[in-house]
Amino acid sequence: MNIIVTVKQVADPNIPPAHIQLDPDGKRIISPFGVPPVINGYDANALEEAIRLKEKHGGKITAVCLGDDSSRESLKYAVAMGADTAILINDPDLVNGDSATVGRALAAAIKKIGGCDLVLCGRQASDTDGGQVLHWIAEALDLPTVVPVTKIEAVEGQQLTVHRLIEDGYQRIKVELPALLGVSSEINEARHPSVRGTMAAGRAMIAGWKAADIGLAAQTPKVELRELQIQVRTTKAELIPGSTGAAQGAALADKLHELGLI
Amino acid sequence: MAGVLVFGDTVGGALAPASLEMAVAGAALAQALNEPLTGALIGDDLAAVAAEFNGGFATLHLIEGKHLRPYTARSAIAAAKAAIDAAAPSVVLFPHTLETREWVPRLAAMLDTGLVMDCTALNAEGSDLVVSKPVYGGGVTAQYVVRGNIRLVTVRTGVFEARAGAATGAVNKIAAVEPAAGRVTLIDEAKAAAASGVRLKDAKVIVSGGRGLGGPANWHYIEETAAAIGGAVGCSRPVADSGWVSSAHQVGLSGTSVKPDLYIAVGISGAVQHLAGISNSSTVVAINLDGDADMFTRANYGVVGDYKDVLPGFIERAKQLRG
Repeated sequence: MNIIVTVKQVADPNIPPAHIQLDPDGKRIISPFGVPPVINGYDANALEEAIRLKEKHGGKITAVCLGDDSSRESLKYAVAMGADTAILINDPDLVNGDSATVGRALAAAIKKIGGCDLVLCGRQASDTDGGQVLHWIAEALDLPTVVPVTKIEAVEGQQLTVHRLIEDGYQRIKVELPALLGVSSEINEARHPSVRGTMAAGRAMIAGWKAADIGLAAQTPKVELRELQIQVRTTKAELIPGSTGAAQGAALADKLHELGLI
Repeated sequence: MAGVLVFGDTVGGALAPASLEMAVAGAALAQALNEPLTGALIGDDLAAVAAEFNGGFATLHLIEGKHLRPYTARSAIAAAKAAIDAAAPSVVLFPHTLETREWVPRLAAMLDTGLVMDCTALNAEGSDLVVSKPVYGGGVTAQYVVRGNIRLVTVRTGVFEARAGAATGAVNKIAAVEPAAGRVTLIDEAKAAAASGVRLKDAKVIVSGGRGLGGPANWHYIEETAAAIGGAVGCSRPVADSGWVSSAHQVGLSGTSVKPDLYIAVGISGAVQHLAGISNSSTVVAINLDGDADMFTRANYGVVGDYKDVLPGFIERAKQLRG
């Protein structure tokens, strides 16, 4: 089974809120020193699932990323995890594109690669939580989709049985290949790269494609980011005093009882 | 194309409360754009929910068909297109749910138009639609201008007040045409076995533990505290990732978003995705040895101290008060 996994590099979601800073344009956040960007968590889940499918059914995994040159790090991570090939679309005209532009660019890249049986994407990226790019890819390639997928239950010929998350359980869904699945974190726990994988990643050649290479015409944005604003957080918590921890605990219980909360 | 079209939602045959929030968000936007407000519902038996949802709309479009429940993306898209064709709006609002997150972006791609999901504010600037949503786990707000002939927005639930009463408008029933079988087929739905204790999503009181507890051997402090005040047990992502407790207890953007009256966070540092998941909580208490923990920025009450001392004192007093 030939699988393409889309990868986005994002600011580390574990940055403490107080350490988030914006660039001078107010359009992007700057990662604090010592906290490098990471591969989007759901995309790591997508890669893990691709690796497990390959282990069972054979095939090839290609990781595709749209981002600036620093995103090579996340593609190397993808190779270290187990992707066979990695491709970076690093056209400056596309890097700040909206979901439609990014989705169509990734779709064009997938066409250039020669298509595949399955496209695996993270359900959304943890930076903007947009959740759209995968659907623009699917529409451009006329692929059926299921999102958010929490399990691939069975692979039978050109048909998958998958679980789709609903509020109080899951739907079991059959989907014909080729297809695109948006995976959620429930699906697996992504592995950490092995030393051997990391060495392979160090040697990996990562192609860099521009819009012209994938035959993508200029896009008119449908959504424009005007600005980002940091949510100001100040501690306004009323601290509960007490001579000992136990006294603080009792005082807290009194306070919450007074408020009718316990 | 003119007008704001608002989609309601049904859950288990009843009107989802978010529907009335959408009606309020839509009414304010329609007024700002000076365009009419219309409504739409998709489902299989809409008479009762339509009567509840109808209010403030020039027209309420009902797209009914047995095949629309249980939900499939293909049927929802076809039904929504019928409503959009009938209403010819310039803006369409949807409640942000697990369903709309799947089918609305595909609809946007099919209509080749602009969409922003999970918005918390909607504004008109002349004829421009400007929306805001939390990004980077809720630490940052992004403002976007949405373009296109039919601009689509999904709206976070619990942000707008629900509509009280309003004058009812005309009802337009549209028989939904079942789309031809596609490449995605629903086999069945499995409902999750009721988890022991109170479900996090609906819990009024939650006691949550984080990495600051030190290890799984100390987890009983959280369970005992929750039991003493009749609360559900939650945890932060690192705790679930380390396998101290099942990820079913995980609170946050990547786990369950909660909206309790009381949220007690013990030994949780307060990463952005955790704070985003508790943003709709009424009262938040942080208990942490580190007074600089980000959790205190969201907390209404704080205890700087060792939970091993604080929680036993809390439990003992709570039991007396509740006794």
